[in-house]
Amino acid sequence: MPRPAAPPTAAEDKIERAEIDASTRLPVVLFYGSAIFWLLVGSFFALLASLKMNNPHFLDQWGWLTFGRVRPAHLNAVAYGWASSAAIGTGLWLMARLCRVPLRYSKLVIGAAIFWNLGVLLGTFGILAGDGRSIEWLEFPNYASGMLFVAYGLIAVWGVLMFRFRQPGHVYVSQWYLLAAFLWFPWLYSTANILLNFEPIQGGAQGAVNWWYGHNALGLWFTPIGLATAYYLIPKVLGRPIHSYYLSILGFWTLALFYSWNGMHHLIGGPFPAWMISASVVASIMMFIPVITTAINHHMTVRGNFGALKWSPTLRFTVFGAMCYTLASVQGSFMAIPSLNVITHFTHYTVGHAHLGLYAFFTMIMFGAMYYILPRVVGWEWPSARLIRWHFWLVAIGIGVMVVALTIGGILQGLALLDPGITFMASLDYTKPWLLIRSGSGILLTAGHIVFAVSFCLLLFKVGAKRTEPTLFGTDQGREPEPLNR
Amino acid sequence: MNTVIYILLGAGLVFFGGTTLAAFYWAARTGQFRNLEDGSKVIFDDDEPVGTATDVFADKKADRPVRAAVARRRII
Repeated sequence: MPRPAAPPTAAEDKIERAEIDASTRLPVVLFYGSAIFWLLVGSFFALLASLKMNNPHFLDQWGWLTFGRVRPAHLNAVAYGWASSAAIGTGLWLMARLCRVPLRYSKLVIGAAIFWNLGVLLGTFGILAGDGRSIEWLEFPNYASGMLFVAYGLIAVWGVLMFRFRQPGHVYVSQWYLLAAFLWFPWLYSTANILLNFEPIQGGAQGAVNWWYGHNALGLWFTPIGLATAYYLIPKVLGRPIHSYYLSILGFWTLALFYSWNGMHHLIGGPFPAWMISASVVASIMMFIPVITTAINHHMTVRGNFGALKWSPTLRFTVFGAMCYTLASVQGSFMAIPSLNVITHFTHYTVGHAHLGLYAFFTMIMFGAMYYILPRVVGWEWPSARLIRWHFWLVAIGIGVMVVALTIGGILQGLALLDPGITFMASLDYTKPWLLIRSGSGILLTAGHIVFAVSFCLLLFKVGAKRTEPTLFGTDQGREPEPLNR
Repeated sequence: MNTVIYILLGAGLVFFGGTTLAAFYWAARTGQFRNLEDGSKVIFDDDEPVGTATDVFADKKADRPVRAAVARRRII
């Protein structure tokens, strides 16, 4: 038996961390850069689709700009182009840091990045050209989804290999989430694509497969990556361990147990066996367990240090996202209750809920992660605090307005749809002012994304004077660590 | 063709359910559920110890950010 080495010194820790960060540079920048590109593309299609709600004939002289194509182009560009690329970029960096080894097999992940972008590009063009499949969340034609699967398979293999070569010790809760998401998603994606697009199963059952996938893409792919990031960044930025680590572990295993059952609550009232729907409603309510454990943990970790949101861009975005996770999840559990679902189903309320989950929760946490990770992997400070502030306030106000408008508009629409005295066409009138407000909020969000893209380019091309003292690179040299409020 | 796919999907179902159970068993067996308070501290080290914040707003002026940020942090 070799003698155990002396524990590493602070200087060695710093070098080791810098090496690990640097090893992830190219893959992370590739995934983040393409994520931001697709975010802009997706925002453009979103704005178009939103404006068409109030002006159906806006730009409809070209087939490829009709609502039926720009709306799925928006969904897929943001889900696979933006959100998934951002998730993979964050996952790569987190995995390397938590395994405490430099990124191995970088060719594997760089290849994945190329395949992934080609897939999203082909798929988006395919949808615009009219090849889209009318299956929500899976509109990409087969030639694109095949490429996405190859890319994703590479990432999954990479995740397992990294975990295999990790340094010994405790497996942190974020690692559980990451590894689970890396393994679950290729299975979800391939199963749903095979059963719906490659070898379609019989009619009725397709809806069940569709929403099994649609909900799990959020629950077993985006949510675990978002939570893994929050569970790492919040304690790390504040320098304070998670309030109750026990609860965080409980949260992971209960999420693994309950989330995969949730999809069928999208089909309440549909032609499906009652037990399928009931089981899903029960599982949706059981989601309170992982959600509340996470909410308690994040709140209690930040409590007493909310002032930190003033000086840390990472924390500001991440805490905003973590709070919205609780909000979106609690709302989702309530929406699964059939007596409430009867009002909200098939209305803009659901659209508001989707944006609360994928934007206010997931996207905000990804912004926070990028603010933390990019300076460390590129070796350059964010050039302008003002741009970061503009970015935050534009998107925070934008998403707030959007969710509120869609929620109110959706409830009015739902009540009108249930009223036999109101015709279907008249029920749409109730939504018009709220949809107009939604378009306005979309402009704010798009402006925020442009500000962020500018900030990213300035950082990437190292514009501005070289900073001699690191501002985001951890502890300032020679300074005694100060205890934060306990 | 269909039979092959259904067998593959069934195998996938068993495989992914199985790996989750196996992971849970492995975690329990290797003591991942013990000493949880120490586990929560693995993301810190001597260079970035508990009690030290690691992220501050970049300031506009290149020569001021650290001191300004540190001063702000002292208040908190």
